[in-house]
Amino acid sequence: MSGTASGPRVGEWVVLYVVSVLAALVLSAILVQATGGQWRPVVNALLDGSIRNPGRIGETLGTAAPMLLVAIGTIISSKAGLINIGQEGQLFVGAAFATYFGFLIGGPGALNVVLILIFGAIGGALWAGVAAVLKYWRNVPEVLSTLLLVTVGGQLVAYGLSQSWLLLAPLADRGNRNQVSSQLAEGNRLPRLEISGNEIPFAVFLGIGLAIVVSLALSRTVWGFMLRMLGRNPRAAQRSGVAQTKYGATAIMLSGAFAGLAGAAMLAGGGFAFGNYQLVPGFSTNIGWTGLLVALVAREKALVAIPVAFVFAGLRTGSSFVGATGVEGRITDVIQGFLVLALLVPPAVMFLRDRKRARDAATERT
Amino acid sequence: MGGLLEAIVDILSSESTYINGALFAAFLAFAASGELVAERAGTLNISVEAMLLTGAFTAAVGYHVTESFPLALLLGVVGGMIIAGVQAEMSHRLSADQFVVGLTLNILVLGLTGFLDNEIEPETKLAGRWDIPLLSDIPLVGQALFGQRWPFYLLYVLVPFTWWLLFRTRWGLEIRSVGENPQSADVSGIDVNKRRRQSIYYAGATSGLGGAFLIFGQIGLFEDSIVGGRGFIAIAAVIFGGWTLRGTIAGCIIFAGALSFRLSVQGLGYEVNSELLQSLPFLVTLIGMAIFAHRVRAPRALAQPFVRGLK
Amino acid sequence: MSSPGSLGHSGQDHGGTGSVEPVPAVAFNNITKTFGAVTACDGVDLSVHRGRIHGVLGENGAGKSTLMKMLIGLVLPDSGSIAIDGTTQHIQSPLAAASLGIGMVHQHFSLVDALTVWENVALGEAGKLDPDAVRNRIGDIADQYGLMIDPDAQVGSLSAGLRQRVEIIKCLRRDPNIVIFDEPTSVLTPDESVQLFESLRHVVAAEGRAVVLVSHKLDEVLHATDDITIMRQGKVVDRLEAATADAPTLARGMVGREVSLRSERAALGVLDVSADPSDSAAKPSNPNDSAPVLRIQNATARGIGGVALLDDLSIELRAGEIVGVAGVEGNGQRELGDLLSSLLSLQSGTVSIDGVQVPDGKSGAMARAGIGVIPEDRHDSGIVLDMSLAENLVLVDQSAVARRGFIDGSALRDFAEKMIDEFAIQCSGPDAPMWSLSGGNQQRVVLARELSQQPKVLVAAQPTRGLDVGAIEYMGQRLEAAAEAGVAVLLISSELEEILDLAHRIVVMNSGRIVGEVDRADANLESLGLMMGGANA
Repeated sequence: MSGTASGPRVGEWVVLYVVSVLAALVLSAILVQATGGQWRPVVNALLDGSIRNPGRIGETLGTAAPMLLVAIGTIISSKAGLINIGQEGQLFVGAAFATYFGFLIGGPGALNVVLILIFGAIGGALWAGVAAVLKYWRNVPEVLSTLLLVTVGGQLVAYGLSQSWLLLAPLADRGNRNQVSSQLAEGNRLPRLEISGNEIPFAVFLGIGLAIVVSLALSRTVWGFMLRMLGRNPRAAQRSGVAQTKYGATAIMLSGAFAGLAGAAMLAGGGFAFGNYQLVPGFSTNIGWTGLLVALVAREKALVAIPVAFVFAGLRTGSSFVGATGVEGRITDVIQGFLVLALLVPPAVMFLRDRKRARDAATERT
Repeated sequence: MGGLLEAIVDILSSESTYINGALFAAFLAFAASGELVAERAGTLNISVEAMLLTGAFTAAVGYHVTESFPLALLLGVVGGMIIAGVQAEMSHRLSADQFVVGLTLNILVLGLTGFLDNEIEPETKLAGRWDIPLLSDIPLVGQALFGQRWPFYLLYVLVPFTWWLLFRTRWGLEIRSVGENPQSADVSGIDVNKRRRQSIYYAGATSGLGGAFLIFGQIGLFEDSIVGGRGFIAIAAVIFGGWTLRGTIAGCIIFAGALSFRLSVQGLGYEVNSELLQSLPFLVTLIGMAIFAHRVRAPRALAQPFVRGLK
Repeated sequence: MSSPGSLGHSGQDHGGTGSVEPVPAVAFNNITKTFGAVTACDGVDLSVHRGRIHGVLGENGAGKSTLMKMLIGLVLPDSGSIAIDGTTQHIQSPLAAASLGIGMVHQHFSLVDALTVWENVALGEAGKLDPDAVRNRIGDIADQYGLMIDPDAQVGSLSAGLRQRVEIIKCLRRDPNIVIFDEPTSVLTPDESVQLFESLRHVVAAEGRAVVLVSHKLDEVLHATDDITIMRQGKVVDRLEAATADAPTLARGMVGREVSLRSERAALGVLDVSADPSDSAAKPSNPNDSAPVLRIQNATARGIGGVALLDDLSIELRAGEIVGVAGVEGNGQRELGDLLSSLLSLQSGTVSIDGVQVPDGKSGAMARAGIGVIPEDRHDSGIVLDMSLAENLVLVDQSAVARRGFIDGSALRDFAEKMIDEFAIQCSGPDAPMWSLSGGNQQRVVLARELSQQPKVLVAAQPTRGLDVGAIEYMGQRLEAAAEAGVAVLLISSELEEILDLAHRIVVMNSGRIVGEVDRADANLESLGLMMGGANA
């Protein structure tokens, strides 16, 4: 019957992927040329900004970490057959929770950092939980509710940032700026590890560790088994004792928790692209969306998400260098979009082929 | 309390509330009529957001280049249909997941239009205002419904046309059948995925037109992320309306009311926190769905891919 | 199926009138079609003539459906040709087939519930949509063939018999010269079947159409057709005239050897129902004294719009007995299966196992209480196509292969290998994705899993649908063995023969309620048929 990964099939996969990725890159290059730019300098700038220049690898890793966390969470919910696409909002709400409770509890040291991360996760989980309630109680498709909650979440946090009883920093701390929170105290920030000129944030290790844990949990545990059953055949799951509401809501909230954790890690990790250990409007800077794309490309495999997150983070850290070439930095958003779209093609083609083979075999004279 | 009541009366008796409401509703309705067709055929087409944005952008560029409104509108339609092409071919020929494709398109188009907008900086303006004699003099709502810029009136053609298409033509019958029971439609000799692709193209066309309307009928120029998630509200309107055209339009009007209310509150000088106000339309949409979504019956094969021989 | 006498007259009245025409309406010439390694049709020659009903007889998997799919453009032949009225045609799509005057009455999956009758009838045609013309045509056809129907009724609200009527009208509306009926009686009561074959006669008599009746039921082919072609393993093995044929010959042709086993005869529809007391007496009759294992009391469930799915239904099942649930499809059997799979919640009524009430609709509750289920549609709730064979074997209970919350991979593989051996599942190994298995093997996986749970109750819903004679026999033996081992077996089937063959006790369902109960020894086809049609016993 259809082999799993025999010789010719691996070849097909490789060819399909190479062709798709090349097509995406060529299309991007054409776009650059067509708008009066030069593609070579853009590539160089991207490489300089993401890995070649000193310290940039650390920066790229630091950017990749929250993307990875978001992606891991997304993989959990999509394994359960749920389409949570509101991570951008869940991340922001998580960061807001982390900020609020971080200051509320106060106190120095490592314990508070851990609490900040936990409250970030709780915030994200609760925000995703709204979608879960709407889905299981009111039958609202989670695709839509999670999306709409992104905007609502963003505005609510922005509101919080304008109120001193919520998130707004005391006048003394913010000078004449509006809508900023106070800065996390020195002792309340996530540590970094310095390796050969690169500062690697703690969140990177957290992300990789959790990717491994989640990967194992999904493939090896009974819980992961239940979740996959729910995602692939909800009725078989219902008969077999997987309560849809319980497992589904858990999966959505877990994915929100990971997004919220990413937000908290950005807040407490600071530096680089994520500002100054304080919350501002637009703090999430599309990390939620990008993390979601990472998950889509990694196709439900938490370990694959690690390198994918690094590549997408590279596009982002590289983009700040692209401006110097005279090409608008947003070209990297476009490249990323083309890449994701292109990477959807090979699995779809292979799926159709596999199914066609299976179908032909199963249609056998009926 | 008295102040609040007074404010609401004030807002409801202001003509601009209705004018803005009609503009918002029209924008949603352009997209929602196409989205309705796509959903009746079985696709929960979240790339409607990308279609609107692309339509707005290509229409703006179209005017920049041709300085002709009709041509620019046409280009808006083409822009929407290009996105539809990617969505349709990838999800209903290659069988890639429809949400994944739609989401990717939304993000891609946001970057692409932002990038190209900076490169091209298209110059546009509003289309001319047509006052329909007599009707536009109706108090309160006359200007809103009959005193708009002319692209607005395309909706008066589009909505009945969509109804006719969906419920009175053979194509519409086939569209409805592939959204309900693709296996049966297939056995009856209907190319299920072809009809689904066509329904997405239709959504692309109406959304592209909606995007163009946004530029020439409402705003006057293209801005980065000008659609701002309202495509998702259009989808919500379809669900809210129980997948009927009448309900969908009602959904558009209600959700547009929230958008317009927001503007009026600020326009009339009431002090309400702007962030809370901005999330109001989305909140209203969510609440509307929470109340109505479980009462309606979705097309049975909504969001389910069709591969022949595979149940 | 029905007793020979009830169907016989129509076949014989007209049997002699159709003289063989020089140009057949349909001629398959040396048709071959392979799917992968399997040859579905192997050099098939077959001619169908106008004015005659042509029976194509064969077991599941004999190639008859593939042949018909080629005729209506759903499958293309690898080699050979199809001639319609003497002209060779390449039929690429159902639409092309329709334009050649070929129509098919499908067994399943051709009607859209949410649409009205006339919309369904119009579906799949070309040209402008004219509702009134369609409605009028439906009226004409109804008058002509005695197929009365309300064109504006919603199809979802119709009974199985009426739905098939819509199918037939949908087919006839295009004025086909050639009409194919694919296993048409599986959704009908015996009485409705007789009616169907009468209208079939009308169809042939009017304007000299050609009719092909595809069936695996020997009895109905023998009595409703004029010419018979028997297929086996992709080949035509025999051609005969119905008037001169007899059941043993047909059975021998179909199976390739003498048919002796009861279950085989049941599978072929030649079980002589009225007279076989000795055989049924051989079964241990009702173990009546023991307390019931499964007890469903006054179960009532309503669907959308308040339609009764289950209506005050009560059943009791004792250890070691096989109770057959007979009835025309669509009368609540699926819902009964769903109830016992925790997939349906009741408005009122209870389910209990060994006297302990089991909460209805609570995920996993029925399975935990000891109810194994071989579901009617295994893809619906029986298997997960995207998981591996081994994982599918432990869907319901992972305790044997799990340790402290983790699945033990090697224990899982060992267990799977044991099951693959024991149930002779053909696959590439324990890790084979479920979708790569053939339907028959998928069914074996379900059977293996449910039996390995050592259930107290085993629900088998249409367990042999789509299987060939060998597999049907195997399933029957497994069910009997389970009953002998003390399992209470609930056999839900629309095939009366299957029930008569295996069950000790028979209950009949109609419109979601039990309308009658008989002991196997007292079972009589006529009264069963009446009950299935809704008459109270």
